[in-house]
Amino acid sequence: MESCGSVVSRRAVLGGVAAGVFASTISVDLAFASDSHPGDTLIVISLHGGFDGLSAFAPIGDADYYRARPTIAVPKSTVIAGDGMFGLHPALAPLLPQWTAGTLAAVHAVGQPNPTRSHFAAMEAMENAAPGTSVRSGWLDRMLGGTGATAPLAGVSMGHATPARLLAGPAADVSMRSIDGLTLAGNDKRPIAAALRAMYADAPAHLAAPARAADRALAAMAGPRAVPAGTGYPSTDLGKALRDVARLIKSNAGLVTATVDCGDWDMHEALGPAIKGQRMYDNLLDLSTALAAFTADLGDTAMKRVTVLTISEFGRRVAENGSHGVDHGHGNAMLVLGGGIRGGKVYTRWPSLAASALVDGDLAATTDYRSVIGEILQKRCGFGDLSAVFPGVKPSAFGLAVAR
Amino acid sequence: MDATAHLLRRATFGFTASSLAEARKLGVSAWLDRQLAPAKIADPVCDKVLQRLPLAGASPAAVRAALPKHSYDAFGQLGRAAIARAAWSERQLFESAVMFWADHLHVAAPSSGVWDTRADYDAQVLRKHAFGKYADMLKASARHPAMLTYLDQRSSTKAHPNENYARELMELHTVGLAYSEADVKAASRLLTGMTVGSSGGYVYDASQHATGPVTILGFRHANAAADGEKAALAFLDHLARHPATATRIATKLCVRFVADVAPAALVDRLSKIYLANDTAIVPVLRALFTSPEFAASAGQKTRTPFEDMIATIRVLNLGPSASLAELDALYNAMVDAGNAPFRWAAPNGYPDAAAAWASPAGFVLRCNLHLNLAAGWYPKQLTRPADLLASLVPVLPATFGALVDALAVRLTGATLPPAHTAAVLSVVSKVPNSPLSNAASAAPYLIALVLDSPSFQLR
Repeated sequence: MESCGSVVSRRAVLGGVAAGVFASTISVDLAFASDSHPGDTLIVISLHGGFDGLSAFAPIGDADYYRARPTIAVPKSTVIAGDGMFGLHPALAPLLPQWTAGTLAAVHAVGQPNPTRSHFAAMEAMENAAPGTSVRSGWLDRMLGGTGATAPLAGVSMGHATPARLLAGPAADVSMRSIDGLTLAGNDKRPIAAALRAMYADAPAHLAAPARAADRALAAMAGPRAVPAGTGYPSTDLGKALRDVARLIKSNAGLVTATVDCGDWDMHEALGPAIKGQRMYDNLLDLSTALAAFTADLGDTAMKRVTVLTISEFGRRVAENGSHGVDHGHGNAMLVLGGGIRGGKVYTRWPSLAASALVDGDLAATTDYRSVIGEILQKRCGFGDLSAVFPGVKPSAFGLAVAR
Repeated sequence: MDATAHLLRRATFGFTASSLAEARKLGVSAWLDRQLAPAKIADPVCDKVLQRLPLAGASPAAVRAALPKHSYDAFGQLGRAAIARAAWSERQLFESAVMFWADHLHVAAPSSGVWDTRADYDAQVLRKHAFGKYADMLKASARHPAMLTYLDQRSSTKAHPNENYARELMELHTVGLAYSEADVKAASRLLTGMTVGSSGGYVYDASQHATGPVTILGFRHANAAADGEKAALAFLDHLARHPATATRIATKLCVRFVADVAPAALVDRLSKIYLANDTAIVPVLRALFTSPEFAASAGQKTRTPFEDMIATIRVLNLGPSASLAELDALYNAMVDAGNAPFRWAAPNGYPDAAAAWASPAGFVLRCNLHLNLAAGWYPKQLTRPADLLASLVPVLPATFGALVDALAVRLTGATLPPAHTAAVLSVVSKVPNSPLSNAASAAPYLIALVLDSPSFQLR
């Protein structure tokens, strides 16, 4: 067991040292030369607003959890797959088969080196994932660039027309609300795409880049559009987005990574007890139903080359407030799902919720979230050297993923 | 680009033929004088549309009387009113400023809990104070049930202060990331008592106020009285007049109206003007729009999807219909683009820099909207000039190249580079010196393609 303070200060030193090295190596350190990405397709779900990992994977063996949350702790009697120390929130029941089959795991007490409790600063830091360096791209863009993938649909942000900051940077990516919605009006009768291509050939970079990416994506959309949409997804933004991500995977369009948003986790009020109709319950049920549908839609064979993980800017305060909610906190949990995951358990270096172990009243983060992703990048996505994606970060040694 | 067109592209939601002619006649200074006194500007077209949206600025009591509990109809009317005002109000600078403050003191609509109060917030906080003093607007927002609900202040109690509003008040509304976690805790204690009563209005509940001395960002108060409202308001005044707030608001105004990277010298001057005028907003805006930095910034801002859509409506002189169907369609187009009025989910308001909007899907949606609006395919209900092409180019030239030149000057302020003109004409299988014939059937495509050009994306 290690307090978060020492973890953070050591990492801060590491980050500072790595910054200088990193700047000179990022552009040339490509892990792959060809366009055929040999690794898993990585799906990143951003849980905006500060996900409460202490509800999702409740530390039922830690008595301080129940002391701190008299009305909103998940009772031992209602968790599922409890192992004495942790149990799953009952709204994660749709994912119980994956947990039991060993393709779903959790990692607990993860967090960022920078313990800010500002949503906006924390989101930016988490998406950039290179604190203390001059790097300003998103880590998923660096991951995508590191694979050398050039397919028009290699990197996709699904569910929004607006670009994902995780994918901000030099590697070409596409954002779309939906597969069926991305069409150019009038182009079936007149050469509008060609005219746009010509007008944007010499445009300023910030205008030319999205125009070029749109042009390439439009030309590549026939395959994904021909794949029928899967069934069983909830009719939510997340459900619809994952349904279309599955279509991209099934069409073999060269998808290397996709990111989707799943918001509304900022529960200062009415996070509530773990029963239907309460905000945390309903949100988790949406998340787990969508992920279960995604797993079923792809099937075991396709899931063998897919890894899904969740990130969130910070966790929430250990103690509940007066509104059956929790204010901004620190340490959090990640969910990892895929055919190559050694699941059915919670990986953690648990710091405990004893008052002396808390950081400013919050769960300490004993594992850098980037090291968890690093382990997945190395074992599942074909990355040897992580320095171009996460400068100065060592992969976690949990063994949570099976090497391909 | 000439100075007047530049001013209108930034200080309004896009120029029309008549707004450009008026501004050229008045000159920059007189145009600003007129726009900074919006009450004196008649607004008949916009007023008529707003009459059909009576809940857009309605009081909580009026919304409750008109709608079932938790209805989204007031949000719907509010969002549609924002489109109508941007497109058709003559008080363009006022409407631009209101949009700025709506993002700055953002309360998302729709969002749960504010179904009955969000419209009133728009009228009584944002619109009432948009050209007033920021200290007054901040205090009005802090005592409005919509803000207190959106950021959970209403459930903050003496025993368990809820930190959400206290944090965003400092981070988003005033000083920025200058606060500490201790400041958040102290401010959340100081603000306890500010809440919402059973009638839906603001009340001060002294029984829930946590007393005891506080020190927050240079503000010190004994906070001994059970009624802590005076102390809370003094804290809000302190925050509004804090130098970090002055810098932050000056920076955000520059990012909105001048350039994505705010010019440091202009930020410095504007923040001094803000403090010297006791947080009054009008002197800051006047200084901004008459600054050399503003004059030098042409081409440095990109239109958001909302600005692109409204600029298209304005430059094509498309008008409202007798129904509200066109506003429904325009609102939904902005939902798809991720830029419908007030719909940004997080409390920091819509992003203002180009990178936040530069996406492939956004580009495609923009082009699709141009063609739909130019061709009159969607929304069909917008009223259109009897002959759109003749309204834009009254005397048709002899060649297709000259027609595209005339359209480009009218729609973007300048001719396109020759290669772009050729690209526009390729859509109707013509070259620049093709003699003009059947111009009417080609017109929607030519107009749309000119609106698709890089120059129309610039604000």
